[in-house]
Amino acid sequence: MKSQLGSLAVAAGFAASVVGIAVLGVGLRRRDTRLLRLGGRFVPIVLVAALAAAGVMEWALVTHDFSLRYVAENGSRTTPLLYTVAGLWAALEGSILLWGLILSVHLTLLWAKHRRRIDDPLVGWAMLVGLAVAVFFFGLMLGPANPFHSLHGAVPADGRGPNPLLQNHPLMAVHPPMLYLGYVGFTVPFAFAIAALVTGRVGEGWLAETRRTTLLAWGFLTAGIVLGAWWSYEVLGWGGYFAWDPVENASLLPWLTATAFLHSLMVQERRGMLRVWNLSLLVATFSLTILGTFLTRSGVVASVHAFTRSSIGPALLGFLAVVSVVGVGLIAWRADRLASPSQISSPVSRDAAFLANNVVFGGLAFVVLLGTTFPLLAEAITGDQLSVGEPYFERMSAPLGIALLFLMAVAPNLPWRAAGRDVLRRRLARPAWFAAGTMLVLALAGATGVAQLAAFGLAAFALAAVVTQITTAVRARRHASVPRMGVVRAAVRTFTGNRRLYGGLVVHVGVVLVAVALAASQGYSTKREVSLARGESATVRGYRVTYLGTTARRTPQKTRIAATIDVHRGGARVATLRPALSIFPGATSAIGTPSVHTSPVRDVYLTLVSSPNEAGRITVGVFVNPMVMWLWLGGAVMVGGAVFAAWPDRRRARTRGPAAVGTPPAPAAPDRVLEGAPA
Amino acid sequence: MSPRRLAALGVVAVVLAGAALAATRLDATADYRATPLLGRLAPDAHVTTLDGRSVAVRDLAGRSVIVNFWNTWCTPCRREVPALETFWSRHHDDEDIVFVGVVRDDTEGAVQKWVDERRWDWTIAMDPGDRTALAFGTTGQPETFAIAPDGLVVGRRVGEASVDDLEHLLTLARGQ
Amino acid sequence: MIARLRLVALAALVVLALVVAGRGGSGPTTDAARAAHLSEQLRCPVCEGLSVADSPSSTARAMAADIRRRVEAGESDDAIRRAYIAQYGSWILLEPPGAGFGLVAWALPIGCAVAALGGVALVLRRRALLVRAMDVP
Repeated sequence: MKSQLGSLAVAAGFAASVVGIAVLGVGLRRRDTRLLRLGGRFVPIVLVAALAAAGVMEWALVTHDFSLRYVAENGSRTTPLLYTVAGLWAALEGSILLWGLILSVHLTLLWAKHRRRIDDPLVGWAMLVGLAVAVFFFGLMLGPANPFHSLHGAVPADGRGPNPLLQNHPLMAVHPPMLYLGYVGFTVPFAFAIAALVTGRVGEGWLAETRRTTLLAWGFLTAGIVLGAWWSYEVLGWGGYFAWDPVENASLLPWLTATAFLHSLMVQERRGMLRVWNLSLLVATFSLTILGTFLTRSGVVASVHAFTRSSIGPALLGFLAVVSVVGVGLIAWRADRLASPSQISSPVSRDAAFLANNVVFGGLAFVVLLGTTFPLLAEAITGDQLSVGEPYFERMSAPLGIALLFLMAVAPNLPWRAAGRDVLRRRLARPAWFAAGTMLVLALAGATGVAQLAAFGLAAFALAAVVTQITTAVRARRHASVPRMGVVRAAVRTFTGNRRLYGGLVVHVGVVLVAVALAASQGYSTKREVSLARGESATVRGYRVTYLGTTARRTPQKTRIAATIDVHRGGARVATLRPALSIFPGATSAIGTPSVHTSPVRDVYLTLVSSPNEAGRITVGVFVNPMVMWLWLGGAVMVGGAVFAAWPDRRRARTRGPAAVGTPPAPAAPDRVLEGAPA
Repeated sequence: MSPRRLAALGVVAVVLAGAALAATRLDATADYRATPLLGRLAPDAHVTTLDGRSVAVRDLAGRSVIVNFWNTWCTPCRREVPALETFWSRHHDDEDIVFVGVVRDDTEGAVQKWVDERRWDWTIAMDPGDRTALAFGTTGQPETFAIAPDGLVVGRRVGEASVDDLEHLLTLARGQ
Repeated sequence: MIARLRLVALAALVVLALVVAGRGGSGPTTDAARAAHLSEQLRCPVCEGLSVADSPSSTARAMAADIRRRVEAGESDDAIRRAYIAQYGSWILLEPPGAGFGLVAWALPIGCAVAALGGVALVLRRRALLVRAMDVP
């Protein structure tokens, strides 16, 4: 019964999208406001259908209705509720359903925001494009990725349950939806970009419409990537957090192009430049989300995340081709209108810095894309298999990352158009000295590695520059106020007065934290394997680990062997850790669960490599990873900054009326305060 | 044509070429994958049979050798069992054929029990330290290699093999 | 003048720090460090793109032990890499080789970077000339 209900809901969503497109199309052609209104109303219907489909699936999962094939394959009676609910995104069909649901949420928000202006062709076209994407995903659910297939033959008493790796950490319940919220969120700016191209209104209007969605999608994607790294660190037990696995790269790729876009859109808003580039970045970002889905869901590349092979590959590939060809074709078609009215005037200006930023982000995306697809390319062309892994990606991305850190420190302090030498000195001299001092102190304190030290130095530079920028602005606001306001109040006013600028700077602080964490944990982590008998200890980088004993717990699902290990440092007890091995019946080999003691300076990360042998000895992997915690904190700060920047501004919301569509937004005052600041 | 349109055309061409390329890969399945060992002398590896004999792969020269890497827990290996049994039931009287099952990543106890239960009568050998598996350049199990009487590696099958696959490998190993 | 001196001093400080940090960075020397370094460059054959060093699988551990044995037996890094390439092909290296088709993976980004830098320089130069031309009354 649930199979029929679910299929019905999916079919309804598909039909509503198709009819919506038709009505909107006719309405746009005839410029008929009533038809456009009517067409728009199909968007919430799609949402209702998607909610119903997802609801039926959750209902089936929670009630263990194994007559559905998806539930029989991804649920089981012994799976805890959290992972049962998360079963919706534990396999291909469910994750497409989640994708469709999130897409319809985004589209409905878009519709709710703009439905009064549906007669504006820009809005009408954007909605049409959004619905077209929905048609594709609902179509997948009707065809090759149907989540509501019923099981042939007798209904089993119990299901297989999700992949063991997907059910031993709560992060698994959060990381995929976050990633999808981000991935799918880029549909909205993409839809507007296509709409702008179709209607020929390629000015700055469409940018203003999508800025907030883009920021939020970026924030979600950032959160998804960081949570994924955290999950990998806490669950996979290899001591690292990012392995440059094709799926991880697939999430990184749209993030890189979207980050480039978030920067270059400011150049377009301010100066009207980079129009082609911005449209291309959005088309690229959306295409890359589809490419990522294709790479990971079609079985073309092997990956830890890859679901089983399915027939969804050709459909995704075709969609990818259509999206990129339509996008690029439209850009080429509108090339004449895309010429920029102004040009970069000086190599030392914020415009030029943004341009450089975009070149580097583009380069990074290119390297990651090339590396990810290179094995495919090599095999197709030469027939030989080649690998592209961590060493390649690290070697190629490190210099680009360092260049980005430098730009991040400098760019926000550069004025638009051109910077005089005195401006540069006034704003950057102190941060530069601070950075150089930090580097020298660290080097003398024994920090090794040129790349590491450069990263630390540039991080200090960027941090000091942000702090200088903020304190200057807050001080200026205080001095300008009569009577003079308190520091806190001035700071709050400054921040809320220009959410985008200060939200952006907060994101930069997050990036600094992440950069430091990456450099330190990549450069200075220690890994040792020690063999211990009960009561024995070994010392790794000042940490003494003592093996106290093992406990074994048998459940129908798995046998879990955990070792109890005391960790001491300098005589003081740090933690008692319990790394474990779980053996799942029918699964390949044992799955290790690391046990981590996290602290601001360094993590102690233990894995149980092998359970007690005949002599009672166990093998323990001991990792000492410096500063990893700052990676998660930095990620949180980045997301916080993005949310702060995207938060609706009360003042602006009131002044921006319906008439603002298509006209350039009133130039906000990003750095009026700053530039007027007394030296 | 303006340079911009030319660039757009270039991008479209690259995307379509990439898509076509990926499409050709979509139905790539486990197969007779190339290995640098093909056409070269089989690795100088030793395995220890379950009954305690040490066998050097190179000592088997002069006969056609099929080496099958497997273990008791891997699902494709289990699916492969009927094919292995059928194959060997056809050839176990042929003195010119050696069939060796090399165990990857498993315990001797489990293997012994498995072999006893199924009354496997081809040579089963353990591979402590994965030395033979590494020497053959295996990427998992099951994997099956064919070695000709002149000692050269002549075929490799990655993944589950059918009876036909095994016969094909044997044809190669017979040097025909 | 003073400004320029300050800049020189700043640069000197940075270079000094980098030199101090970079000393003794001539690659791994001990057997253990060499083996660890090689384990990072070779891929675990049964994993999805993890290095031998990173993979917890038993095959990777066996391979790490084999690498260690070879290092201790006095084989050079290059010889060990070649031995594995003989068994697995260049696939076993986590970085594509700098010869044959693998070269493309290295040359393409570097070529693009050079082209991008050149293009930017050209645009800025042309613009600077233009600005100067317009400045002349």
